[in-house]
Amino acid sequence: MTSIMQSETQPQLTDASTALGVAIINSKAPFNSNAGKDALDVALLFGSFEQKVSLFFQGDGVYQLIANQDGSLLAIKDYLKTFSAFEFYDIEDVYVCQQSLIERQLSKTFHIDNVQVLTNKAFAVALSKHKHVLRF
Amino acid sequence: MSTLHLVRQSAFSRNDFEQCISVLAEQDSLVLMDDGCYNLKHPLMASLLKKDNNKVSIKVISTHAQARAVEVMAGISQITMADVVELTFNHNKVITWQ
Repeated sequence: MTSIMQSETQPQLTDASTALGVAIINSKAPFNSNAGKDALDVALLFGSFEQKVSLFFQGDGVYQLIANQDGSLLAIKDYLKTFSAFEFYDIEDVYVCQQSLIERQLSKTFHIDNVQVLTNKAFAVALSKHKHVLRF
Repeated sequence: MSTLHLVRQSAFSRNDFEQCISVLAEQDSLVLMDDGCYNLKHPLMASLLKKDNNKVSIKVISTHAQARAVEVMAGISQITMADVVELTFNHNKVITWQ
């Protein structure tokens, strides 16, 4: 896990639209490493403490969102199914890099709803709105 | 001398596949497994298939592709891990790209 954290101990801003909490960038494909599962655990953890979390999917990380995957074929516990619990943890902002989808010839069919596909620029802007960034 | 190439990484994040292709010989076999299945959609694969003199046999582990929702094009044979064991005996040596 690579983390870029700014450890400023400022009082938390209540207006979520001006300074968002934590951004989690997913950059790895789902089954070959534990990165995706770790990112999910961290996201749900922040969610259970009512911290604002946004998820970003970039590079091979976009494979985590693609529909019709089945981890059970690999004798792996399919953590991707847990993505559907995001709304219960108030994780509403899920962003995907459009360029990464195009490069991989992937369509915009995801296994969860409310996924926002963003251009490179919009993706960067969305990311920059966050105070803390964790990359997996 | 034939070689069995086992490609296990996504070419979108690593350059293993590119290096593999650069040493491919005519009588070799190429097997995509694990994240290597994603390479079916990579431009390197498209150019490899387009080569007129391409005699390399390209295979993919069917469950690995299916788990990742990767569509396997016609012309790529789908095999099992048991088949890989057999392939290791049919080739002089094995290179694992990971």
